[in-house]
Amino acid sequence: MGIKCGLEIHQRLCGKKLFCSCPAHIEGTGASGGFSRRLASAKGELGGLVDSAVSFETVKEKTFAYSYALKSACLVEADEEPPHGLNRGALAAVVSICNALMCTLVDEVQVMRKIVVDGSNTCGFQRTAIVGMGGKIPTSKGDVRIASVCIEEESCAIGEEGKTSFSLDRLGIPLVEIATEPDVVDAAHAKETALAIGTLLRVSNLVQRGIGTIRQDINISVSGGNRVEIKGSQELGMIETLVQKEEQRQRVLAQMGEEVKRRSGGKFETAQQPIVDVGEIFSDTQCALIKKGSEGGAGVFGCAVPYHAGLLGREVYEGRRYGSEVSDYAKAAGVKGIIHSDEDMGKYGISEDELAELEIALSCKKMDAFVLVVAKEKIAHAALSYALLRLQNAPTPEETRRANPDGSSSFMRPLPGGARMYPETDVEPIRVDAQLLKEAADMKIQSPQEKLEGLCKILPQQMAKRMLTSRNFALFETLVKEGADAMLAAATLEDTLVALRREGVPVEGVGKEKLIAVFEAHKKGKITKAAIGELLRAAASEPATGLDALIGEKALGKISGKELEVLVKKENLPLGQIMAKYRLRVDAQEVQNILRFCPAASLLLRPL
Amino acid sequence: MPKTGSGDANCIVVKLSSGYNVGIDAGKIKEVKVVQKAAANENREKAVAGGKGSVEMGAKAGVSEGDFGNGLISLLGCGGTIASKVEYKTGAVYPASSPQEIVESFPDISRISKIKSRVLFQLLSEDMTPKHWGIAAAEAADEIKEGAQGVVLMHGTDTMGYTSAALSFMLQELPVPVVLTGSQRSTDRPSTDANTNIVCAMHAAKADIAQVLVCMHKGMDDSACSLHSGVRVRKMHTSRRDAFVSVNAKPVGEVDAVSGIVRAHGECVKRDAGRKLKLFEKVNGNVALVWVYPGMDGKFVKKLSDFDGVVLAGSGLGHAPVNAFGAKGANSILPALGKIIEKGTLVAMAPQTIFGRVNMNVYTTGRMLLEAGVVGNMCDWLPEVAYAKMCWALGQEKNPAKAAELMLKNIAGEISERSEIEKSLWACVGGF
Repeated sequence: MGIKCGLEIHQRLCGKKLFCSCPAHIEGTGASGGFSRRLASAKGELGGLVDSAVSFETVKEKTFAYSYALKSACLVEADEEPPHGLNRGALAAVVSICNALMCTLVDEVQVMRKIVVDGSNTCGFQRTAIVGMGGKIPTSKGDVRIASVCIEEESCAIGEEGKTSFSLDRLGIPLVEIATEPDVVDAAHAKETALAIGTLLRVSNLVQRGIGTIRQDINISVSGGNRVEIKGSQELGMIETLVQKEEQRQRVLAQMGEEVKRRSGGKFETAQQPIVDVGEIFSDTQCALIKKGSEGGAGVFGCAVPYHAGLLGREVYEGRRYGSEVSDYAKAAGVKGIIHSDEDMGKYGISEDELAELEIALSCKKMDAFVLVVAKEKIAHAALSYALLRLQNAPTPEETRRANPDGSSSFMRPLPGGARMYPETDVEPIRVDAQLLKEAADMKIQSPQEKLEGLCKILPQQMAKRMLTSRNFALFETLVKEGADAMLAAATLEDTLVALRREGVPVEGVGKEKLIAVFEAHKKGKITKAAIGELLRAAASEPATGLDALIGEKALGKISGKELEVLVKKENLPLGQIMAKYRLRVDAQEVQNILRFCPAASLLLRPL
Repeated sequence: MPKTGSGDANCIVVKLSSGYNVGIDAGKIKEVKVVQKAAANENREKAVAGGKGSVEMGAKAGVSEGDFGNGLISLLGCGGTIASKVEYKTGAVYPASSPQEIVESFPDISRISKIKSRVLFQLLSEDMTPKHWGIAAAEAADEIKEGAQGVVLMHGTDTMGYTSAALSFMLQELPVPVVLTGSQRSTDRPSTDANTNIVCAMHAAKADIAQVLVCMHKGMDDSACSLHSGVRVRKMHTSRRDAFVSVNAKPVGEVDAVSGIVRAHGECVKRDAGRKLKLFEKVNGNVALVWVYPGMDGKFVKKLSDFDGVVLAGSGLGHAPVNAFGAKGANSILPALGKIIEKGTLVAMAPQTIFGRVNMNVYTTGRMLLEAGVVGNMCDWLPEVAYAKMCWALGQEKNPAKAAELMLKNIAGEISERSEIEKSLWACVGGF
């Protein structure tokens, strides 16, 4: 069985937020205040159809709590002020990315509202627009076609209180979303494609760096199955595992679907399955879960699942059973989980007698399974309906899943459709005109190949390759632009700083400005090449002290010219010994020159 | 898709199967082929066919405990954002809803009460005129006479304060509440404030209170709305949900959006089925509201003689340039102002500071304006309220002197004699 797989890469852009002038870089400021909101689903542009993903969220009827920091959010993020115009700089960057991916640009960018009522956006929708379509990115397994490149706004970060609490810091940060066609052939190819797009973005210098600034969504379907979107993978290394596990899950589910078909003769149908109030059976139960529930006014409701005996307990992959898949759906209605017939009833404290009565009440036949929930009637009915919906749609329903850190995934909501899109009328459409194209051309992105060729002109090939894939690439380019020697900058970033970090020196505190200053000090002859490492060590350890002060304090000042001549004469030692003694403070070439032109000392140049 | 009216006219908008719209230069299109036709949307057609008329629905249980009389609340649509949707032709929010649609848009409200819904106007509130106030008042009066136990008017927020003031003068001796509500976020957005506002307005319309009120968000939360006196309320922010504040007065009360509990902050007029409503809907729209500004001159004021009434939103305590000290190079509007008053234009003063009371006794400027015949001294009314009142007063009395008498008489709490202490001005609008 083959797979169909496509990627969606979301990458944060630099600069300001997409629809206001708040900074796009979060500074981790604490919350200054908060407010609470409720969201309702709204009608889409093409009529009254509310998207299934949206109605799934609205059933939950939640109140969302938002916190904000004055520096990172304004009334626009609080949905108390209409959006300002679309950020031109961010749009030009996305146009430039489209060009690098050989996309056809739209003639007019139309900003849309994509309804999302899970609270992750205060408006209840995400603003998004297609900028380009129909591009490609080369890989070792052929070109992967680019379906679309969008500019869109980042959602809120989930706050400390859980799924209904959000922080506005992140909301509105511009993102570029690159969606590929399902041209990815296997798990390793998925990783390669993500890496290729990621590298292109990274070397563009138009995007943010660091954890959380890029994430990959994966669309995958095993042949014969349905499309599943796995959201929010932040680790490139996890992509391969995610694809593998999802492939396995869909295969196992497909097999189970076949088995149900065989058992039922193709007649499995849950639409008419009765939901039964079985509370009476448990009126005197030892089951702690039910006892606690009934104290809070909850009842016990259940339904039989025809032809499913033994299937709910079957693993879809290691550590995850089909029952958990069904449970994820029920949870969307607001229950904490389900009890199903493939579980150990003794574990719940449900007695043999209760079980027997239950099976009678639910009219379970030998081949049937059952599902129970403990909840108030309305929620219980919704939960069981969702569970039955999931069972009906086996093997693999179209759904959006959340990537878990271990490479597994769990259900979030049904896959959204086009019904959740309608125009953002508060933002004027933007013509892709000559001016915008010029702005984009000014930030032209070189392909990683072109970049490498450029790097090879200033660095040995090995180092050029290392630099291209380095997280320090942008910093390297800045340092070189500021006049630093390329090889010295590369070696400092890739070797010196790494070595210092391993020694436990807090080099993270040495920012771009300080690095530029260090290289400038070297260029101006204030320090030698050899002293750079020591100066960085000092700068990292004493961040408050100025560089010049550190050079003096640590005796790192370069000795040259007359002073060096005097020193060389005074020491009257061969080159090797002078260097051994003054390694950090003198330049070997200069010492050599002095020795060469100093008749008295010239003898010292000879090897001893 | 229909062109949204904005953007490049040469671009056509195409909806992709993903739901995205993209603009394509029409000049680049070589051929257009019908691939498939979309199914017609029945709901939309039904809604459009619904049109005008009225619809009754809601509260299946009929009269419930705690309801007054038949428990029927009349919901009148006066346009505005709350009763509007995105219009894809113009790209803007469009104030057109059938009564059916209005009730259907807010599923929560039919659980609160039996509802009779009607659309009075389909326009944005900035397009309303004093005539519309008169119509709204007469329609609300009809509803009350026919037994409505409360009236909710859905109204645009821009000029809601004007309408609420006018209704306060037109609907006297109210037996039941008349509540205006609107929204700052259109109803096509999941984050609309309309739901909270209309739910709270419905609860207010059922409450034991009987005056014209404005019910809008209390703060940024969707948890409560403030109830403002119709003659004390002002929209003080272009976009915030809590844009409405009570000026020179405390809000009348507030409504909890979840529990529906209506809490009065002080004394308010209680509901009384026996009280006989008096309707004074006549109005004279030939009134100007003029913001006094530095450099304002007689040439401009002369032109105001065409109006039957003028409200000056004066600077400071109620001032306008009259060059009290005869300074060189300064203007005086006094001769022109005196002339238009003499010719029969009623001129009243209100404070452009918004907060505080007019007092034209303190400076020579004020005394000169008083001498010229400007009325409104010692009034702590809002400029818009003074304007609505003048339109109303001149509708009741053609004679400027008699209209002036009516202007200066407190009708609905728009003029108070005491200015209560607040520890800071910020505290006046609910801050601290």
